[in-house]
Amino acid sequence: MDFATFASQFLIGLSRGMIFFIVSAGLTLVFGVLRVSNFAHGSLYMLGAFLAYTAILWLGQGEAGFWLALLIAPLAVAVIALVIERGLLRFIYKREHLMQMLLTYSLVLIFGDLVKMVWGSDYKSLPVPQALTGSFHFLEANLPVYNAFLLLIGPLVALGLWFFLFRTHLGKLCRATAADREMVDVLGQNSTWIFALVFALGGWLAGLGGALIAPTVNIAMGMDANIIIYAFLIVVVGGLGNVWGALISSLIMGVGESLGVLFIPDFAIILPYLIAGVLLIIRPSGLLRSAW
Amino acid sequence: MKKLGLAGLLIASLALSGCGSTGAGAGTGTTTNKEQKTVKVGIIDTYTGGAATYAKDALDGFKLAATETAEKGGPKIEFVTRDDEFKVDKATNWAKELVMRERVDILAGTINSAGSLAVSQYAKENKIPFIVWGGMSDKITGAAGHRYVFSTLPNTAVIGKAGAVQMSKLPYKKYWLAGSDYEYGHSVVNNFWANLEKMAPGVSKAGESWWRVGETDFTPYINKIRSTKPDALVVGTGGGDMVAFMKAITTTGLAKDIPVWVHTATDLSTLAPLGNEAPEGVMGTNPYFAYYPDTPENKAFVDAFKKAYNREPAAFAIYGYMSGKFLAQAIQKAGSMDKEKIVDALEGLSIDTPVGKATLRKEDHQVMLPMFYGTTAKVGGKMMAKDIVTLPAEQIIPSAAEVLKSREKK
Amino acid sequence: MSCSYSTVRAEKRVQKRSLVLRLALIGLVLFFLILPSFLSPYALYLMATIFTTALLATSLNLVLGYGGLMHLHHAVFYGVGAYAVAILMTKTALPFWAAAIIAPFAAALVALLIGWFSVRLRGLYFGMLTLALGQLVWAIVYRWNALTGGDDGIHAIPVPEVLTSLNASYYLTLIVLVLSLLVLFAIVKSPFGLILTAARDNIPRTGSIGVNVKRHQLAAFVIAGFFAGIAGVLFIVIDRSVAPSLLYWNKSAEVLIMCLMGGMGTFLGPSLGAALLVLLSMVVGVYTEYWLLVLGLILLVLVLFLPQGILGFVSGKLKSASRKEVD
Repeated sequence: MDFATFASQFLIGLSRGMIFFIVSAGLTLVFGVLRVSNFAHGSLYMLGAFLAYTAILWLGQGEAGFWLALLIAPLAVAVIALVIERGLLRFIYKREHLMQMLLTYSLVLIFGDLVKMVWGSDYKSLPVPQALTGSFHFLEANLPVYNAFLLLIGPLVALGLWFFLFRTHLGKLCRATAADREMVDVLGQNSTWIFALVFALGGWLAGLGGALIAPTVNIAMGMDANIIIYAFLIVVVGGLGNVWGALISSLIMGVGESLGVLFIPDFAIILPYLIAGVLLIIRPSGLLRSAW
Repeated sequence: MKKLGLAGLLIASLALSGCGSTGAGAGTGTTTNKEQKTVKVGIIDTYTGGAATYAKDALDGFKLAATETAEKGGPKIEFVTRDDEFKVDKATNWAKELVMRERVDILAGTINSAGSLAVSQYAKENKIPFIVWGGMSDKITGAAGHRYVFSTLPNTAVIGKAGAVQMSKLPYKKYWLAGSDYEYGHSVVNNFWANLEKMAPGVSKAGESWWRVGETDFTPYINKIRSTKPDALVVGTGGGDMVAFMKAITTTGLAKDIPVWVHTATDLSTLAPLGNEAPEGVMGTNPYFAYYPDTPENKAFVDAFKKAYNREPAAFAIYGYMSGKFLAQAIQKAGSMDKEKIVDALEGLSIDTPVGKATLRKEDHQVMLPMFYGTTAKVGGKMMAKDIVTLPAEQIIPSAAEVLKSREKK
Repeated sequence: MSCSYSTVRAEKRVQKRSLVLRLALIGLVLFFLILPSFLSPYALYLMATIFTTALLATSLNLVLGYGGLMHLHHAVFYGVGAYAVAILMTKTALPFWAAAIIAPFAAALVALLIGWFSVRLRGLYFGMLTLALGQLVWAIVYRWNALTGGDDGIHAIPVPEVLTSLNASYYLTLIVLVLSLLVLFAIVKSPFGLILTAARDNIPRTGSIGVNVKRHQLAAFVIAGFFAGIAGVLFIVIDRSVAPSLLYWNKSAEVLIMCLMGGMGTFLGPSLGAALLVLLSMVVGVYTEYWLLVLGLILLVLVLFLPQGILGFVSGKLKSASRKEVD
């Protein structure tokens, strides 16, 4: 094992972790503020990919098409999320976690079949935009430009979230709501709209993750089940509701899997659960302090 | 009392499910109804989830065969479908429902190999002919094979051997083996390697990589394989992973450095979604192309399929289509709807198909089909297989003696 | 959360009516004993599947409804029970009865391992750890080809033929279900069960009176795993096939829905939910390939409008009716 292989594998792991982060950041935000464990987050991710596909069908496969789709699809998912929150979730905030979770699970089932009705069962694929095709040389490895793009987008999203949560009034309200909802209500702020906003933001992040992954994968039913367990593991390991915890555990997961390919190639299926299980046993309440 | 109400509710639902009838011993044993002119096929397949596209292709092919048969005055083939959701317990549930309640004569399906094996076991116990047009595990007609199960698609043993035949003609020595970490992937690769070692002495294995089904980023795997510089890479992957993996080959330019072989690399199910993103120069075997062989029979099939479904047929369409044709001819040959006679007729039956002659081998009930190998290339602005070579069925199917020996082991 | 869980007080009231209830239950059992002579073979098979699933759902409810633990991956123990029988019977020379006895203990052992780590956590963390560790078991089963047959599973498990006929498997599953329910009911009503319920309603207070809550919860978790393992054995008797999909997380979600549908606060609710869900899936699936959509809609309606479940709703109505009579 030479250094170049190891280093390039590490870098690939980081870019892999970025998608994990974008998706799980949305999930953990919703956890933190709404205290809802949203199983439908994976469905929103899947919708993001499918909507990006449809957007590009309409916009054409030109260079602008991809970027516009990257803009439109997550927004569309955010709107769907908003409708879910206003139409369903807000009626059950007073219920036990289990009920809330089961409600979001019902959406998993419903969206799964709706996607089949709307898009059919054929495999779909999106082209990587021209500017991001091909690969670049890193040490002795050839890495896809698209991975480098993800390496860029991930930190941007993290930065944007930080700015929103810590530098804007709305973001501060979100954090305050996460810490103590009743206090926020007492202070005369309308926390229900904060809930709606955060849920839409979570949906936007899920949609963004789906739209970003779309050009590199096969877009089909089942994408939701693949990601949701990962996202849950990452969020819990990171500390429920803690965005930075999600960032750290995303990167651990991404790099862990990527290096696992080098050292324990037979364990690809087992590895994510193993990493999460071990981390949870060592730190039962997550790597960073939970927002709860 | 509410408990009795509860029981009443149960009974009501049972009646609703249509199973309140008290026909004793129905469904099991052979139905020798002389009046019956139609055969009823119960189809169990995966219509939900990532593999549904194959189930749809197979079903459409089968429907086409049923329609054509009826038009030509052949036996009338009726069918019902059930969705097993890629779950083995569902597959068994439906097999029992189809046989005991729906009273089907024949079972067919499923892309889920575990489901196929479970249904096959039930079919064996209840003497119901079962045509497998989706499950590719070599156990189905191999170690777990029996009188009532037939496979109308190349299984992993055939696929692996076909790959070995193709690769043994090439000068590569150092191989890397990889694939999706599930039975299909391992079985294709193991069969490939066992055959290649026999056909091309001196080959060596540089290593193996296995990724989970549904992997979203193949870069770490490709990077590792590249760093070890093998002469060739042989991959066992299928379904959605196939599309994603081909894409990863394009983005990383892997096929330019290392020759890659993947079964179904040239299949329409893989190439159609990829469009211009499909990599050129990937080698692969495939049992069917809409454009090859360029015969009137194939043209007629493609035209009929296009007319009915407004798309080109991929490999699974032909599996479903052949299944229908085999069944129709077996009934005609048997001259009866008796299940035992249909099984007798199916054994060793040869029919003309769009790809030439296909035979259900008498000894193990595995279909004998030619296989085509080629390389992906852009021909006239469209990705398809280039330099197609036909591998005759006899060359790629494991000998019947070998297969029967695997059954004895149990 | 008194709306969704019956309280200890309510359970006492139930005891007062226990004579009527017992007679009704005995009637119900007798009814099921003579039922097969009126049923078609397919209905017999469905009933056996329902009995098996009912045991699985009831075992989950011990932890979920009575223990108040958010256990998200119960199907693991079901799967381990089934796999234990399958592996013991195909890889060793053990007879069926021996394998069937060992299997629930194997499931209980896995439950002990998962529970050991999980009960240290509360609420969602507990749920997430059961999910993560459960999926780890799934992944091992999926991957350990030599032992488990990988995703192809194990088929044609040689269960003795005396047990596999439709009639025999009906009676076997019925008898095992009834006996298991009796034991589970005794557990629920025992001091152990009462402490479990008390801990559900108020952990600090139960802890403060000197009860080791975690140990009780772990014990409940292991017992639940044991009975799920028995359900796994019954599954093998009926279907004689096993594959990893049996212990994937969506199977656990299905079992959760059964408990919710019947009523988590009631002892027989999960059985009712299991019966309804099995029947519905087999009826709806005949007409459409969109069963999961239907299931999703059902679940949505249940959560929004009937969170106490069908039996919970009915017994709630009965209780308020009897209260009125008293007034």
